Amino acid sequence: MSRVIVITSGKGGVGKTTSTANIGMAIASRGHQVAVVDADFGLRNLDLLLGLENRIVYTAVDVLAGECTLEKALVKDKRQPKLVLLPAAQNRTKDAVTPDQMKRLVSELAKTYEYILIDSPAGIEMGFRNAIAGAQEAIIVTTPEIAAVRDADRVIGLLEAHSIKRIQLVVNRIRPAMVEANDMMSVQDVQEILAIPLIGAIPDDERVIVSTNRGEPLVLGENNSLAAVAYHNIARRLDGEKVEFLDLNAPPSGFFARIRRFFGSKPRS
Amino acid sequence: MTVDSSVPSPVETIPETPPQPVLPLQVHLKGEEGRLLLLLPPETPNLDGSPTSLTWPDLWLQLKQRLNAGERFWQTNIPVHLMAQDRLLDGRQLQEIADALSESQLKLERVYTSRRQTAVAAAAAGYSVDQLSAAIAFLNKPNSQTGQALAEPLYLQTTLRSGVEVRHPGTVVLLGDVNPGSSVVADGDIIIWGRLRGLVHAGAKGNAQCLIMALQMEPTQLRIADNVARAPEKPPAEFYPEVAYVTPQGIRIARATGFVRTRD
Repeated sequence: MSRVIVITSGKGGVGKTTSTANIGMAIASRGHQVAVVDADFGLRNLDLLLGLENRIVYTAVDVLAGECTLEKALVKDKRQPKLVLLPAAQNRTKDAVTPDQMKRLVSELAKTYEYILIDSPAGIEMGFRNAIAGAQEAIIVTTPEIAAVRDADRVIGLLEAHSIKRIQLVVNRIRPAMVEANDMMSVQDVQEILAIPLIGAIPDDERVIVSTNRGEPLVLGENNSLAAVAYHNIARRLDGEKVEFLDLNAPPSGFFARIRRFFGSKPRS
Repeated sequence: MTVDSSVPSPVETIPETPPQPVLPLQVHLKGEEGRLLLLLPPETPNLDGSPTSLTWPDLWLQLKQRLNAGERFWQTNIPVHLMAQDRLLDGRQLQEIADALSESQLKLERVYTSRRQTAVAAAAAGYSVDQLSAAIAFLNKPNSQTGQALAEPLYLQTTLRSGVEVRHPGTVVLLGDVNPGSSVVADGDIIIWGRLRGLVHAGAKGNAQCLIMALQMEPTQLRIADNVARAPEKPPAEFYPEVAYVTPQGIRIARATGFVRTRD
């Protein structure tokens, strides 16, 4: 039985696509067959983050138009053969696809792949409705900012109404030093409002930006940054493992202390 | 906002009057003699004849929210009678209603409507149909008369998330949190058994006797009848169950413990 998980947020720019790429890679590295679906028609990015842009020949719209088989449109990843990408069309808008068509694509993928991760566009309009159409569960990505949390709250309400009951939370881009100084919402603050189970908390990390620009998801890298470990832990939790949450206020040997030192803030005891 | 004694604490009052809200009926579920009535808001709820802004997707969303919030309150497989009033429903929409109901283990059985097209679609889908204008007159009555008693209290168990608005021509009792960005507008009292962080308006038809109660009062804004107040800039260090009520000086908030006793 395959699992179809939509990754969504409401607000843009909180890390949906980055999370999709990294969680997808992390699950694939655990030996599962994974398909990641870019549902952001017209503003596709997932291919860039995965470094697969130049290998796209057909897109989901071509499959729906009957111009090629689904098999042909899937882009395989050289570095991680268990992961494939179903790219979105860049020359169309969200209205090029209907929820029913998305459902068909997803159920077709479900025959072969154990995990199907759908990268939802921002917003709650047509693109969002397409993205959630075939999903049974959802991962909500938010940052510790009131605007992102507010939008996430709205999206959770919509998901619940669409009978997606299993909804888990990823809090992205946490800066422990700021949380400690009471300048940023903590994971607990976010959870208190959203009231859904937490599946991951990811520290803010410059290397995420670097890996994004290189098209190499962080979890592929050798240097195990805290963010990469956090993404790996999300994959393990999705798989049903019980994993302790990372202590983001890690010991001074962790990279956080280095970052803090780099920015000249005081190391904590 | 919280006070140490039962002495009422002043809340900053915004002087101007809020716009008088019109209350279009929302999707409403009502138990009645072994059946559940599903009332849809009429296509033209206001006396001035202005059409409701509630489109089909909004209506569907509201139905799902109400079903999710009331799941505990009815037996499974109780027959549902749909009061479609003057709303046009096609076969697909009826099917979506039936699907939503069956997800909550409820079964659509009968459709009451005043529209021929709806009646035809419902009959084609195999439901019993009553095309009654008398039923409509009965259902529209509470909306069109003044000075009537309030509707029965609306009892919900859910988290009201951002973007959700509950309107009810009576008292609203909610088990759960009212999150920022959501709102409750009631003609009667509002009782929140949870955190109140959104916007609530009690006595929306102008009854200043109405109260707002919450276990944890951190509202975006409180309104009772024509009065508006917002929460203090700094949230209190500790929360108690509190009651908001109207005084000649505006909306005040007091500790809930002993409130009814000390007020008289």
